[in-house]
Amino acid sequence: MRLLASLALQNLGRRKARSLLLIIAVAVASGVVFTGATLMRSIDSSMAVGFTRLGADMMVVPEGALTNITAALLTVEPTDLVLDQDLFARAGIASVSRAAPQKIARVEHSGIGSHHDSVDLIGFDPALDFTVRPWLVERINRDMRPGDVILGAGRDAALGSELLIFGKPHTVYGRLGRTGVGTHERGVFMSFATLEALAGSVHGPNGPPAVLQKGKVSGFLVELAPGAAPLQARFAILSTLKGVKVVTGDSTMSGIRQGLAALLNGILALMVLMFASTALMVSVLFSAIVTERRGELGLLKAIGARRGQIVGMMVIEAVIATGAGGVLGVALGVLVMRLYERSLVYYLENIGVPFVWLDGPRIVIVAAAAIVMASIIGALGSLYPAWRASRRDPYDLVRGEG
Amino acid sequence: MLSCRGLRKDYVTERGEVAAVAGIDLEIAAGRYAAIIGRSGSGKSSLMAMIGGLSRPSQGQVTVDGIDIWGLSENALAAFRNKRIGYVFQFASLLPTLRLVDNVALPAMLGGGARSSVTYARAATLLGQMGLGDHLDAYPSEVSAGEQRRAVIARALINEPALILADEPTSDLDEQTEIEIMDELMAVNRERGTTLILVTHNLALAEQAEQIVHIAHGTIVP
Ligand SMILES: Nc1ncnc2c1ncn2[C@@H]1O[C@H](COP(=O)(O)OP(=O)(O)OP(=O)(O)O)[C@@H](O)[C@H]1O
Ligand SMILES: [Mg+2]
Repeated sequence: MRLLASLALQNLGRRKARSLLLIIAVAVASGVVFTGATLMRSIDSSMAVGFTRLGADMMVVPEGALTNITAALLTVEPTDLVLDQDLFARAGIASVSRAAPQKIARVEHSGIGSHHDSVDLIGFDPALDFTVRPWLVERINRDMRPGDVILGAGRDAALGSELLIFGKPHTVYGRLGRTGVGTHERGVFMSFATLEALAGSVHGPNGPPAVLQKGKVSGFLVELAPGAAPLQARFAILSTLKGVKVVTGDSTMSGIRQGLAALLNGILALMVLMFASTALMVSVLFSAIVTERRGELGLLKAIGARRGQIVGMMVIEAVIATGAGGVLGVALGVLVMRLYERSLVYYLENIGVPFVWLDGPRIVIVAAAAIVMASIIGALGSLYPAWRASRRDPYDLVRGEG
Repeated sequence: MLSCRGLRKDYVTERGEVAAVAGIDLEIAAGRYAAIIGRSGSGKSSLMAMIGGLSRPSQGQVTVDGIDIWGLSENALAAFRNKRIGYVFQFASLLPTLRLVDNVALPAMLGGGARSSVTYARAATLLGQMGLGDHLDAYPSEVSAGEQRRAVIARALINEPALILADEPTSDLDEQTEIEIMDELMAVNRERGTTLILVTHNLALAEQAEQIVHIAHGTIVP
């Protein structure tokens, strides 16, 4: 086995340029496949996370409010219009199991971040919330108190440290995981009371924003009762509550999802084609290599190499080359994704795809799969020519016939 | 030890079938030195290849030490080539990517079993005996044609075969080298008792043989 492997390695070394070209060709193919698969899986799981972890089936906002489809499902956008906080509590709609009110104020000169950055201050009701705290990745080991804030993943501050907002001290109570949704990433979350206490410091064009008043909210994130049909729930809400608009997660996201699915299918088809053509190329190349080495293979057979050893040697040679190509391709893919990470995430979020990278272990699995696939291509591509040559009589091979 | 019965080899070509070997019966006793002579194209190489397990006969049997070699399974035949036969080709037949010592050790390594340190020590000894002690680490392209042929003989001997088949091993070498290499082969035959079958055009060499097989048009001429 070691002998065959070293023979195979030496054979690769004989035609360095050709081996290198083969490795590069396989690297390009497996790089594309690895990158494509990683992005696909990332997008897929981002969307899954968006739907499961953020948990809102629909969102109820003031009728005139602008909604950003991108984040519609996930968070309420800052707006001047407000709803009553006890809207749902009063109405008691059967198909709604939970309605989590949120206040969002986009403020400037708050003292958080650099001077000109606007910051979204997001108030939520801990008793009703189901979209913020599921994302907590770390927190202080006690209950939330007035004056505590939770930071989005995009903000940096040590747990328990003091954060000045408009000069008032707050305590960093916890931090959220990466969600891929801008408002969540950069937001500063707090209880309604904590947010309302800041009303005096915020100066809009017409005084403090209406949403900072007690009892007023920017909108509700709604979770439907189990089994409730979205369409019926929507009618129920619209007929019961006045002056609201319902944004259904499904309808906004399903369009994106369908478009994305088509795109992903296209990418998948392209990947399959790429792999198939690489396999074909490897096979053609190895037919030629086997023909070129017929004499040597015959010689090996003549001195007692078994068929399995002949085939093994050729397959090992191919697998080393294509496996190396796979490794190189994955490395290139990682490099490219690193280089274009920012613009990629920005672009995807712009077309409505909240983006979270696949976690490390899964990327490793995808990478391993790409390398294994590249190796399998080498094995399959070389197997048939090698097997055919190994069947022949050594004397015919040595004489260079067929 | 070697016997051929009704051996035939027909090649199918575009111009019809060519009978390269057209029915040969032959016995060669163990430890003999036999020479096969005949004109070019008479079928000598085809016969040797069938005897050595390199080319499947169209008809007939080859029996070595009582074993019908072409009745063996693929792997058993490979083992037979590996353990029982030492083949010396007419042309350069070393693997160019391996050093001489690797080439010589290769049949033993392919066969498995022996420890590689033992095998390599043996390969070095054999190369030394062939006068190549200083060239163990040389690659085939770095030594002369005659030295390459000696290395091939060393390779043929590494597994201590019962039968050495040499198909015009010296036809492309100068006279002096030819004599030296033939001396090596005959010494192996004499000293180790290895059966030697030699195809040659050199009648002087053939005359030293204990048995001369004259072939014309694929059959033995009495
Ligand atoms: N693979 C083949 N296909 C077709 N014909 C072949 C093949 N091998 C040998 N022959 C023919 O069979 C005949 C015997 O060939 P072989 O090589 O056995 O002769 P030879 O006695 O060894 O000749 P030489 O002394 O030139 O080596 C020749 O006529 C040759 O053309
Ligand atoms: Mg010949």
